[in-house]
Amino acid sequence: MPRSTNLDNVAPDDDFNQVPTPETKPVVPTPSSPKPKKVKKVTKTLLSDQQTTSKPQKTFTTDIRQRVYDTLGHTRHPLSSFLVRPKVFTFGERDEEEEIILVLRQHWFSNVKWVLTAFVMALLPTLLSYVPVFEFLPTNYFLVAVLFWYLITFAFAFEKAITWYFNVYIITDERVIDIDFNNLLNKRFSEAKLDAIQDVTSQVTGVAQTMLNYGTIFIQTASEVPEIQFENAPNPQKIIKVLQQLRQEEEQEALEGRVR
Amino acid sequence: MNIDLNNLLLLAFKIFFVLGAIIYFIFSLVVVKQTTTMSKNVYDKFNSIIITFSYIHAIFAFFLIFVTYIVL
Repeated sequence: MPRSTNLDNVAPDDDFNQVPTPETKPVVPTPSSPKPKKVKKVTKTLLSDQQTTSKPQKTFTTDIRQRVYDTLGHTRHPLSSFLVRPKVFTFGERDEEEEIILVLRQHWFSNVKWVLTAFVMALLPTLLSYVPVFEFLPTNYFLVAVLFWYLITFAFAFEKAITWYFNVYIITDERVIDIDFNNLLNKRFSEAKLDAIQDVTSQVTGVAQTMLNYGTIFIQTASEVPEIQFENAPNPQKIIKVLQQLRQEEEQEALEGRVR
Repeated sequence: MNIDLNNLLLLAFKIFFVLGAIIYFIFSLVVVKQTTTMSKNVYDKFNSIIITFSYIHAIFAFFLIFVTYIVL
């Protein structure tokens, strides 16, 4: 009885494995076609099958990440208060695989107050030289007092500058971090996982904040730290959008079982 | 008597300035220590410049002790 290759026509009891078909014909090994090559080909096809099956999921998360990058754009200056994917920046508590998406410092306008104060402080000895207030002091005493004053002015400005420089808000692909240094002697580190974020609110108040586009962002979390605040953060709308996209990516990763 | 009072006042000023310079030097050392600690926690491009500034500040504060002692 001639056997049909069409499996729809095969009866349940038929032992169709015994019948050699053109596809299953054993290939006689020849020097020109060594066995390992065939194995390689099979594994290659298997791999390509796996790639095609996992491709749609991977593309979705990378698409979200690409949207995050597109939203943020680029940073022009390394001292910017809105550092996008900085190459040099890192922090002590960072995980090896963690990618820093955004580093924020307070908007430059928040520094104007202390810069002006330091400027006035620096000018004060010159102004006092016109007013005979310290005439009772000998010249050498006045000179030392001026030296003291300039050092105190420098210390004041330096303390303010490094407080601005080291107080950073970091958004990584896993969490949101707030590092605060207060009065040089007090360090506060608070973090919240992206999937623990419940609510994000921004507040832009006053003329300066409205004109220069900066404000405070309140991040309500379900973690131990109930709220993280980004004070005087530039581009609050962009930050909220990025946080939303990153949370979406985190949810997608959780669905795929790729949670770190 | 009047001269003695003036001298006493100037001596008090001198002690005040010298003590102030010593306390200021201790403060500058705290600034150096804290800047170094901060730099370990948050590393960025300008950390080395900030640390250098803090050391220069400490050196100036150290010299201020001598200047205060010698000039006054």
